[in-house]
Amino acid sequence: MVSSRSGAQNRATSRLKDLGFDDAGVADLVLQSADVDATLDGLDMLVEVRANLPTELATDEVLANRLIAALGVSRAVAEFWRRHPECIGDVAEGSPLVEHLDEESLRAFMLHAKEPNELRVRYQRILSVIAALDAAKERNFVHISRALSDIAVATLGAALAIALSNEPDAAHVRLAVMAMGKTGGRELNYISDVDVIFVHDVVSDFDANKGNQIATRLATSVITMCGEHSVEGTIWEVDPNLRPEGKNGPLTRTLTSHIAYYERWASTWEFQALLKARFAAGDRELAADYLAALQPMVWEASRRDDFVKDVRAMRARVIDNIPAAQRGRQLKLGSGGLRDVEFAVQLLQLVHGRADGEVRSPNTLHALGALTERGYVGRDDGAALAQSYEFLRTFEHRIQMYRMQRTHLVPEDSEDLTRIGRSMGFNRDSAHALTQAWQEHRRVVSSLHEKIFFRPLLEAVAAIPTDDLTLSAEAAEERFHALGYRDPKGAIAHIASLTAGVSRRASIQKSLLPAMLQWFSESPNPDAGLLAFRRISDELGDSHWYLRKLRDEGSGAQQLAKLLSSSAYVTDLIVRAPDSVAMLGEEDEFKPLGAQALSQRMSSAVKRHHSFSSAIKAIRRVRRRELARISMSDVLGSLSVAEVGEALSALTAATLAGALAAAESEWRRTRGELPTRMAIVLMGRLGGHEMGYSSDADVMFVHDPTPEMGDAASATACAQWMAQHLRASLAEAGQDPPLEVDADLRPEGKNGPLVRTLSSYGSYYAKWSDTWEAQALLRAEAVVGNAEVCAAFTELINPLRYPSGGLDEKEVREIRRIKARVETERLPRGADPATHLKLGRGGLADVEWTIQLLQMQYAHEVPGLRTTRTLDALDAAAGADLLSHDDVEALKEAWIMVSRIRNGVVLWRNKPAESLVTDPNDLVGVAHVLGLGQENSGPMVNDYKKATRRARKVVEKVFYG
Amino acid sequence: MNKQQEFVLRAIEERDVRFIRLWFTDVLGSLKSVAIAPAELEGAFTEGIGFDGSAIEGFARVHEADMLALPDASTFQLLPWRGDSPYSARMFCDIAMPDGSPSYADPRYVLKRALGKAADMGFTFYTHPEIEFYLFKGKPALGERPVPVDDSGFFDHTAQGGGQDFRREVITMLESMGISVEFSHHEGGPGQQEIDLRYADALTMADNIMTFRTVVREVALGSGQWASFMPKPFSDQPGSAMHTHVSLFEGDENAFFESGAEYQLSKVGRAFIAGVLHHTPEITAVTNQWVNSYKRLAWGGEAPNHVSWGHNNRSALVRVPRYKPNKGGSTRVELRAIDSACNPYLVYALSLAAGLKGIENDYPLPPEAEDDVWGLSDNERKALGISPLPRNLDEAIRTMDESELVAETLGEQVFEFFLRNKRAEWQDYRSQVTQFELDRLLPLL
Repeated sequence: MVSSRSGAQNRATSRLKDLGFDDAGVADLVLQSADVDATLDGLDMLVEVRANLPTELATDEVLANRLIAALGVSRAVAEFWRRHPECIGDVAEGSPLVEHLDEESLRAFMLHAKEPNELRVRYQRILSVIAALDAAKERNFVHISRALSDIAVATLGAALAIALSNEPDAAHVRLAVMAMGKTGGRELNYISDVDVIFVHDVVSDFDANKGNQIATRLATSVITMCGEHSVEGTIWEVDPNLRPEGKNGPLTRTLTSHIAYYERWASTWEFQALLKARFAAGDRELAADYLAALQPMVWEASRRDDFVKDVRAMRARVIDNIPAAQRGRQLKLGSGGLRDVEFAVQLLQLVHGRADGEVRSPNTLHALGALTERGYVGRDDGAALAQSYEFLRTFEHRIQMYRMQRTHLVPEDSEDLTRIGRSMGFNRDSAHALTQAWQEHRRVVSSLHEKIFFRPLLEAVAAIPTDDLTLSAEAAEERFHALGYRDPKGAIAHIASLTAGVSRRASIQKSLLPAMLQWFSESPNPDAGLLAFRRISDELGDSHWYLRKLRDEGSGAQQLAKLLSSSAYVTDLIVRAPDSVAMLGEEDEFKPLGAQALSQRMSSAVKRHHSFSSAIKAIRRVRRRELARISMSDVLGSLSVAEVGEALSALTAATLAGALAAAESEWRRTRGELPTRMAIVLMGRLGGHEMGYSSDADVMFVHDPTPEMGDAASATACAQWMAQHLRASLAEAGQDPPLEVDADLRPEGKNGPLVRTLSSYGSYYAKWSDTWEAQALLRAEAVVGNAEVCAAFTELINPLRYPSGGLDEKEVREIRRIKARVETERLPRGADPATHLKLGRGGLADVEWTIQLLQMQYAHEVPGLRTTRTLDALDAAAGADLLSHDDVEALKEAWIMVSRIRNGVVLWRNKPAESLVTDPNDLVGVAHVLGLGQENSGPMVNDYKKATRRARKVVEKVFYG
Repeated sequence: MNKQQEFVLRAIEERDVRFIRLWFTDVLGSLKSVAIAPAELEGAFTEGIGFDGSAIEGFARVHEADMLALPDASTFQLLPWRGDSPYSARMFCDIAMPDGSPSYADPRYVLKRALGKAADMGFTFYTHPEIEFYLFKGKPALGERPVPVDDSGFFDHTAQGGGQDFRREVITMLESMGISVEFSHHEGGPGQQEIDLRYADALTMADNIMTFRTVVREVALGSGQWASFMPKPFSDQPGSAMHTHVSLFEGDENAFFESGAEYQLSKVGRAFIAGVLHHTPEITAVTNQWVNSYKRLAWGGEAPNHVSWGHNNRSALVRVPRYKPNKGGSTRVELRAIDSACNPYLVYALSLAAGLKGIENDYPLPPEAEDDVWGLSDNERKALGISPLPRNLDEAIRTMDESELVAETLGEQVFEFFLRNKRAEWQDYRSQVTQFELDRLLPLL
């Protein structure tokens, strides 16, 4: 290492000598520069155009320091000096440009430019001075970004002056350019769009239309001058799109027209943007009038009806909009990015700036300072956030400086990273150290964002001793409101209770709550989330694993917050048995167990317990735990509706198998050997592996007496006993959720015997069976209980449901007629035929009857149709060209949509619905829990109706023919 | 509370307004009104006024009835016909669900969505309707033939009959409500009038049309007359159309205008017409929404009954009016199927959507119809590729039922309600025994 470094040093020194630089001080500076090779290349370039440079550097230490540091970080600056060697003196000791980097001096300096190219040269002279001072660490980020903004407004002023001198009618109008965005906040980057808004007025009685034309010409000319490329490069793009009506609006308007727009049309983000406005160029008086008229409106924006909704949507845009390829390299966007800090600061300004004039600064760091000073942001949080913001912004500056390129992406190249790292003081292992520091700051911002809104609230409520000012009660309520809590007083009471006392739990919750409150507020019902959290916390008290889970503030706590504020169903399961919280934060825990693992757990539960009732209890406990697992991972977005159906059905089948085994062992224990072999046939949604959270378990009981063990009557009595006990014990109310076992699909329905022997099924189906019964058997799956009985039953029903030769015309007509009758008769009174989940137009029954008719017609020749699953059968029908691809897609889309809504409703409100819910709160909740976004409940309803309408068209064509 | 709303509150106080009428429109295009006292207005602005949506055609079912009317302060106007102080005033409302999200059943929202889509493509949509209607002597009793106020014809200056005074009074009132009138004259039928409204953006215009119909009815009532927008009150006289001139603007530029192109009609304009032509059969159930509407289309003359376009061809469905030199801003196309009894919000939303579809998918424009389309034989029309419009409400409904464009534009709720309502209307009509049958058949059979 050492030798190679010194080798590099030697090479550098000798190259310096070749170029004519033999001063030792200069050599040291070069070796310390951010990028030695780039610096040498730069010197090489410059000495060609300025021969006495070596002498100048040797005699002017200040010049040497600035110039060499600048060459090390910016190729663009080196190239500018090569084109204009006469400007190198701008950074020499005592240069007036360095001394006078304030706004007024810069304006005066720029006004000397009389034509666009001169403007560009003067702009780049200043830019080089700023870059040199920055690279030499003579100025910090605050000074640099202020100087960059000031040179921007000075440039706009000079550009406007040139435009005015070319405009003969200029005297008739007054035009002001308002700086917006980072220029307005005096915190500009090296290279970014400069946001502006134009405002104009005519002088005395001049014609308004003509005035408009003149003002538009002037504005256009300013934009072109700054954005055009020439041999002298370009300045930056002027972006006028923050103006009223954006791209579609006129480029400039009168003050009256601005006022009218903001009074009537502007939306929340436009007021947020207005917060940054300041005078840039043109008519100062007009600009002052503009600010006086519009800025008061900024501070009323938080009282707008849609404020909470708008803010939520704006924040979602801040963190969502990163192209996948840039994820992980973005400085600006995404959680923990620069925009995240700016957004948080602006939101707090909008909320508290209404009543408190001290926090209205357009500058992010100033505003953050004031918010901290006034107690709206915790002192440590404010300081940490400011520090990270400065780091990220400096990083961004260094990235942009090299080529003066507009980018917010961290380079991937390690040479680039090394150069930037060295320029920021990471001298050892620069690229790696820089990346690490960046990730650390990003984490800080991201986690502070989660707490910054709520930490001061907590301090106000929980009376946590602090040096800071605490929020007033009004300010606290206002903030709760702005962040989506509907009942701030209730929230305050819960927080007070959660943080009362000095227990370990209270102190953990104190530090956790700011983040939890933020996570709750991202769901439609934060109040309910907080209440449930309080209940669970009361319940779980001080158990170690619970506190550990929360203390780490890892994904577990965040998942808990999302579950509690999004799903009453999951909340109920957790409150029934809070131990399911233990699964949170463990990715592996969220995979449904699957049939095999479940049946193992069930049978070991049965073996462990000797009495029937304690075995059933154990089974129900396993079931509850698995229900929690399935529903939690569903809400957290990792299961499709088909996977949920598979998981719930497998769970139900395992539950039934466990309960049957428990009943059998109870019989053996109390009465001896079993006189019969028993099986349970899964029917309906259960048989189809498509259960929802509210589905009953549809079954039929079948048994086959063992003749050597006794007569038929005692065998039937035994089977009957087992079926009844199993049903009653699973349906009983209790701590664990009950399971209704429904046997109404059996022969003769409710009037028929609960259990039948295999041969009784055989003779019944041979004599009496109707087409609809054969249709119901399409969903029959005999897999629970005695395997031989199951196999025999399946063999018995296959010819019925997959009739050889399909259906004759009469049978098809019969099915169609029944369906038509069901449509008119079964629909409950008052139900909306468009949105009834099961029987509605394009609903579940429509899709299922359609595919079932095809199954009965063609399953004898298309083996793929011999399935109990709706989606599989549809695919098989498409594969066999029984249905067109488009038709299958329409049917599947509707079926999946309806099934998702059906599950979503239960998850949201823990109560099933027959039809698509209509209560707006429920709709918002369902849209949220399905991951569609709570602002999309209207489109969700519209999409539901669209999907079902299209499916219905297919049903009418295919099913009714 | 914004400035506009504060202005309204102040105006109400200063002008001694005692009643405020909150207006909105049901799915079939009838104006609905809720009156509130000035004291309730502030609450109406901030929270909206709750009402029972199930009482309004197409809005809601009984169990989901709660809806909110949110007054649009920019539409505030004193109502001139209620006399001087104490005044009444009106505002149009947007309809919202209880959580404040817009209702998909609100025709105003249907149009706003369509305009939003146009705005995304960079367009604003302007319309200029010519509204025809009949004026009768008093309200006709059930079963009686209505008596027109005069026997004059097109552009006649009639000495007797109240038509002239009537139009003057209507226009005065409209102007006092900020609605500019372009033109007014006597139309072809006895007692038939036409008043043209000066062009405006489509949403303002739809509001204006609703106001216009009310003003016309009020003025008629005030002088003991009866005004009707029924599409075709007389078998032997022309029906009442609402020909509408439409144009798209991109910023300040008329997007239909292209200097030097044929008829100065730009590529965008041609594609727009192609879109309208292609989709007209699907949207006819809305532009001509009553059983009676099809009697107007069947009668011929100025009413189109085939899908065609032409330059100054008054038998065509879409007419490109003569270009006025140096008036690039006024390039427009005229849609001639629409009748006066339509719901203007839905009609403008669908016409726009059809045109935009043409622009999006670059539909080619079929050749222009140069002849009187009515004068051609069926086979001639077939040869020229000119297809017929739906011949009655039943055909129109069936065509609309298949239309994704209409479902997409209206939204599923309005789409479904509209079809249901119109099927019922057709069902009722089908079983009617008409005077025509009695007159023809009773003497013979």
